[in-house]
Amino acid sequence: MTLAEDSGPERGGDDILAAEYVLGVLSADERRQVSARIAAEPDFARMVDRWEVHLAPLAVGYPEIDVAPSVKQAIDRRLFTEQTETAGRPRLWSSLGFWRGLAAAAVAALAIYVAVPYINPPAQAPREFMVASLAADGSDVKYMIMYDAATNEIGLSHVAGERASGKDFELWMIDANAQPVSMGVIPAGTTMKMPVKEGMRGKFAAGTVLAVSVEPVGGSPTGLPTGPVVAAGDLRQI
Amino acid sequence: MTPQDITKLIVRTSMKDRAAFDLLYRQTSSKLFGVCLRVLNDRANAEEALQEVFVKIWTKADRFAASELSPISWLVAIARNHAIDRIRARRQAPLAIDEALEVADPAPGPEAAALAGDEAGRIKGCLEELDKERAAAVRGAYLKGESYAELAERHGVPLNTMRTWLRRSLLKLRECLER
Repeated sequence: MTLAEDSGPERGGDDILAAEYVLGVLSADERRQVSARIAAEPDFARMVDRWEVHLAPLAVGYPEIDVAPSVKQAIDRRLFTEQTETAGRPRLWSSLGFWRGLAAAAVAALAIYVAVPYINPPAQAPREFMVASLAADGSDVKYMIMYDAATNEIGLSHVAGERASGKDFELWMIDANAQPVSMGVIPAGTTMKMPVKEGMRGKFAAGTVLAVSVEPVGGSPTGLPTGPVVAAGDLRQI
Repeated sequence: MTPQDITKLIVRTSMKDRAAFDLLYRQTSSKLFGVCLRVLNDRANAEEALQEVFVKIWTKADRFAASELSPISWLVAIARNHAIDRIRARRQAPLAIDEALEVADPAPGPEAAALAGDEAGRIKGCLEELDKERAAAVRGAYLKGESYAELAERHGVPLNTMRTWLRRSLLKLRECLER
């Protein structure tokens, strides 16, 4: 019996397959097939993530157990000695991991940029941040976005892709049930902040889609996107 | 350490900050070792798994932003999935007798009692709606990472019966979690 036959809708479908993966009951072959799907199918990966969230509280059943110091030494040997011996500069620049790291560095730099003025805040509710990585197929435009609920501000980091002369990038919030709402023209620069209109505050939630479109200088004349969307992504809680 | 502190350490680790990685290891390795040891049931094997887990954390820390999991749950998920993949790859042979005799707690143990918080309350409440034996099987499968084949052997039922049985529990659980 193949995994596909065995996980048809009548048996619960993909969502139950995701639950079985998270629970850990699948065989080695099935787990390999599911891992490949997690890597290739974002919707399926989200189902797996949801089940991880649902079942995570069960992990209180795992005790904390002291680890022999030799383990950390072995990790450092594996990660850091090998690297200095084999990773020369050309490899660093050509490696995909470096570019991924750069995107992550953009998020982290942005986090510091947004949060630093408040690094020693008076005691108050924990700060809530949301991040989104905006990109699109067939476009080289990439932005990292971080929303800080405490200040109601968006921090943007321009990762790649230039605007054409005579054009501006405009940021939109896309709600499935309504027309896109403009968040404003994105200022030029590598790191910048944009205030959020007070009425929009409640709209920032995990899964909300943000998108960047190409517009005439000064922004869309119609109040709706007029140019192509060159980058989009959804907000995630961090 | 608060979840926010762990989040910061993961983000800094994604920037290849070794000091942050070292601190993250100090703060979380005993919990993640507890996960590996429970699933693999062998110290040397669990130590090797833990090494691989932290190598993954170092190389994949940037993926954290794409998950809805809390930082510690995200780390536990990496450790659990790795330990389960590892034991699945190794344990093709029939079960040892002592393992076969080890039965999941019929009553909710201290683990279940210790569950707290919103999401925790929900899964706990939903497990309570299941038959006791079935709830224990779900909890045991999660903590030990037992396969359908192992569960079937332990309960003395055919593999497909075990599948149907557990899937029904998962469907019920989903229905309850979505209420």
